[in-house]
Amino acid sequence: MPAGKHKSRSLRRVYTKLPGNKVVVHHEKRKPSKAVCAVCGTPLKGVPRERPYKMQNMAKTKKRPSRPYGGFLCSKCMRAKLKEKISKQG
Amino acid sequence: MFEIGRLCVKIAGRDAGLKCIVIDKIDDNYVLIDGQTRRRKCNIKHLEPIDKVLKVKKGLAHDEVLKELKKEGIEIKEKVKRKKKTAAKPGEEPEVKKQEPKPKKQEMTELKKEKPAAKPKKADKKAKAKQKKTVVKKAKKKAVKTAKPVKAKETAKKPKK
Repeated sequence: MPAGKHKSRSLRRVYTKLPGNKVVVHHEKRKPSKAVCAVCGTPLKGVPRERPYKMQNMAKTKKRPSRPYGGFLCSKCMRAKLKEKISKQG
Repeated sequence: MFEIGRLCVKIAGRDAGLKCIVIDKIDDNYVLIDGQTRRRKCNIKHLEPIDKVLKVKKGLAHDEVLKELKKEGIEIKEKVKRKKKTAAKPGEEPEVKKQEPKPKKQEMTELKKEKPAAKPKKADKKAKAKQKKTVVKKAKKKAVKTAKPVKAKETAKKPKK
């Protein structure tokens, strides 16, 4: 029987395969929500969806796309913003 | 629109937001660019043209592109190449290692020689401590000797009273 705390669905269930070819259920905390574009609200690509303790050990280059507004705006909104800037300057 | 010498801003990729000049036309869709960005082939869709067109030869060299852009007041940060520490160390270390082990062995032998010499020091300390104790004892004895006669005198005096 699973322990009482594992009966609740607040923890997500992860099926892991052990070296002895035995499948075991691990109970892990749920992942945070997806990162989202600040303008249009579409989920961002290239931004990992992990708990902070895993994000901490990740390289900076793995956490967001390496372009201006990377990890904050989606590529479409970023282009629109840059075009706006250019038109204001010119 | 994207003729040679056209000043542009790149809108896509990691060079986005940087200014560049069109140097060559490769295709209907592709041009060669250089400037603040890396010198590379680029899709027209990834460029936003600015009103200025510089008078520039086709396929201009990188250094001359930088000069042309400086005239326009566009500064370019040149990358400073980092010296590879990992590559330099292995060359230096073995030399040091060759030098070090010999003195180390000597030191070890010296230390071994010194160790027996160090023991007598402890013995000296003990001896000194013993001497001190003996001195203290002597002093006590003296004090006792000096004290006793006084007591004796006192005791001698008391009965007189």
